[in-house]
Amino acid sequence: MADLLEIQNLTKKIGFKNILLDVSFAAQSGDFLVVTGPNGAGKTTLLRLIAGLIKRTSGKILWNGSDYGLAHGSLGYISHKSMLYENLSVLENMVFFGRLYEKYSQKRIEELLKRVDLWLYRHEPAGVLSRGMQQRLALARTLAQEPKLVLYDEPFTGLDLDGQKLLRNILAAKRQRSIQILVTHDLNLLSGLEYGNIRLQRGRVVQERG
Amino acid sequence: MGKYLNKVFLIYWKDIRDEVRSFDNLLSTILFGVMLIFIFSFAFQLADLDVEQAFSAILWVSIFFSSVLAIQRSFAKEEENNVLDGLLLGTGDRGSIFLAKFLCNLTILLIFEAVITPLLWIFIGASGVKASLGLLVPALFLGSWGLAAIGTMLNGMTVQLPAARLLFPILLFPLMVPVLVAVIQCTAAAFAAPGESVAAWLYFLASFDLLFVIVPLLLFDYILEG
Repeated sequence: MADLLEIQNLTKKIGFKNILLDVSFAAQSGDFLVVTGPNGAGKTTLLRLIAGLIKRTSGKILWNGSDYGLAHGSLGYISHKSMLYENLSVLENMVFFGRLYEKYSQKRIEELLKRVDLWLYRHEPAGVLSRGMQQRLALARTLAQEPKLVLYDEPFTGLDLDGQKLLRNILAAKRQRSIQILVTHDLNLLSGLEYGNIRLQRGRVVQERG
Repeated sequence: MGKYLNKVFLIYWKDIRDEVRSFDNLLSTILFGVMLIFIFSFAFQLADLDVEQAFSAILWVSIFFSSVLAIQRSFAKEEENNVLDGLLLGTGDRGSIFLAKFLCNLTILLIFEAVITPLLWIFIGASGVKASLGLLVPALFLGSWGLAAIGTMLNGMTVQLPAARLLFPILLFPLMVPVLVAVIQCTAAAFAAPGESVAAWLYFLASFDLLFVIVPLLLFDYILEG
């Protein structure tokens, strides 16, 4: 059965300032939405609200019809910050987060680390890896969760050309099974991929193209 | 409930392993505590006070100042690279993060006290004085519980602020005053003549400790969001 994400009149205020105002859209499994807009448009806030990392002021986020119905661990979030423990090794990070998200599998971890070219570095602390390698590790950690909904916040930051190609392949491959929402400033990085575009400006949706 | 506790234990165990691995953190806290009790003991010898009067005050002032060093690092690793977001996505409930951090801080404080309490005992020449361990051990445990609970809550509140290292001890002290008063009374009673009751202080301490675990568990969602 296809999963359905519905965002209804989502609003986030900080003090008297509207960060997001009445944002509504829907997506189902297989959809790939790209959120664009100028700095301060509310793109990251939108992703953080959907992820449940911050609280909404009003509106609804429905997963298959129920509010916050998405099980934790089924939601993948890739930010421009790696969300990794720098003092833990590559493997320890994968094991720790795998267990925390209740999706731990040694075989899957090995497979994913090989896929992102980090198997040889598995015993190195994440803190000594380059920015791009940390982003690859963050990708592997998120894929290990087998998320039904994946949120990407400027995921290309720090990736070299090979890393960008790898991410595009992942975006194309994940498309069959998940809902993907990606925030970026640079649509050129998504060339060759089919996507719907939501454009935000000052917290409002100004353009929606399926 | 089982899953919740599993996640609490997972974060707790990771933090404990971290502390053991980067032993310098725990070592610096212990060294600071040892220096404090050495200085206090030296001053105490010059002032010629009774051991019974001085022991609990020196012990808890040393524990308090050293614990600031230990506890204010609780969320430091989560602050780097937004790891806190990763934890929140996995646990779903911010209270479990508080519980894990609180238990880790409590463990560190108890290890710290296991080292410095006997040292203070030796430094101030209390070897000839009788003390009731039945009172001293619960007092140490309850005092550490309060310190760890309040400290973890405040660290969660201040970690994202620019002046966190300055704010944390300033906010910690006023909140800790009731715990310090009660625990110093209980510790001092361990050296007093039998029959002197501190039951009221112990109940107060236990209630205070419970309050400062329940309140953050309920409010940590708001505390962490800032």
